[in-house]
Amino acid sequence: MTSRESNPNFMNGVPELLILRLLEDAEMYGYEIVQTIRERTDSVIVVGEGVVYPVLHALERTGALKSRRKTVAGRSRIYYSLTKAGSRKLAGLAAQWMSLAGAIRKTLAGGQYGDVVA
Amino acid sequence: MAMWLHELRERLLRAGVAPRHVRRYLTELREHWADLTAEEERAGRNPAEAATLALTRLGQVDELARTMIEQPELRSWTAQAPWAVLGAGPVLGLVAGWGIALLILWSGWTWFVQGSRTPFVPVHGFAIAYFGVGRMLYYSAPLLSGWAMIVLAGRQRLQTVWPVILGSLAVALLGATGAVDVQPPVIPGDTGRVGIQFFPASWQLPDAAGHALLLFVLVALPYLVWRWRSSRPDFESQ
Repeated sequence: MTSRESNPNFMNGVPELLILRLLEDAEMYGYEIVQTIRERTDSVIVVGEGVVYPVLHALERTGALKSRRKTVAGRSRIYYSLTKAGSRKLAGLAAQWMSLAGAIRKTLAGGQYGDVVA
Repeated sequence: MAMWLHELRERLLRAGVAPRHVRRYLTELREHWADLTAEEERAGRNPAEAATLALTRLGQVDELARTMIEQPELRSWTAQAPWAVLGAGPVLGLVAGWGIALLILWSGWTWFVQGSRTPFVPVHGFAIAYFGVGRMLYYSAPLLSGWAMIVLAGRQRLQTVWPVILGSLAVALLGATGAVDVQPPVIPGDTGRVGIQFFPASWQLPDAAGHALLLFVLVALPYLVWRWRSSRPDFESQ
């Protein structure tokens, strides 16, 4: 639980963004979501195993996700998928993060450049 | 149910998380725990070790509870506005129950004894059952709406007693002072009007007080017994 635990404020909103992005491709259940985030981010971002569910419930409550119960190999799973409102939310969040990431990258690049010049 | 799940459930409910979210959260955590245990077993650990490690990965009860409680969207109405839900809710339930009972009475009057000056006349066959359902609903509405409130308060492990007492009192007073009021038809052969009249002419204070007390005890007693039992130290282990 590296990044999220070491700097939770910095990671605010990241689980929501990643979950929405993953569910844009396919419906998934909690365990699957956590494993996929771990794999796709090379374990740089690790969402707490159990704490992914409050995020999923809250996103569903706001209409960004919908869920359905499915029995797979004798196990009852609750699968989540993206709604149209969720797609809009994802677009908004993604744009915010791209803009933020761009600004940080630009600032960091400027800092490095300044160090070299000095 | 595993002890940690039991502890988590009680904590979430007392903190005001809606019971349906708590139930689903626990189901998901149980499944997730099973998945993690299977993963650890595949990695070569014995079942006991795998289950313990899986639980560690899943998170501590404190963390699992905190993240859920921090989501304001997941709080129940009973927790957010107990006075409104438990004070006004039973009254609305009683009004709805009585409304349906009156509708049955009025429609039965129209269908089975039309032309009569009152629906309270001897009837036969299906009409007996039809009016019987209405009568049963009318008499049981105060209790049903009161018990529904108790179930809501109990499911949420509500710590405050006063909203339940207020709701029980409201239901008991309304239930004891209201009576069916029938107005005969203005035009002969037509159906008259039905409604509820509070403090009717036949109303007697001692009777109504006894009725109100009985309703109050029947509604509030199960809750007070449950509260008393849940306050005992050995309740959690039962």
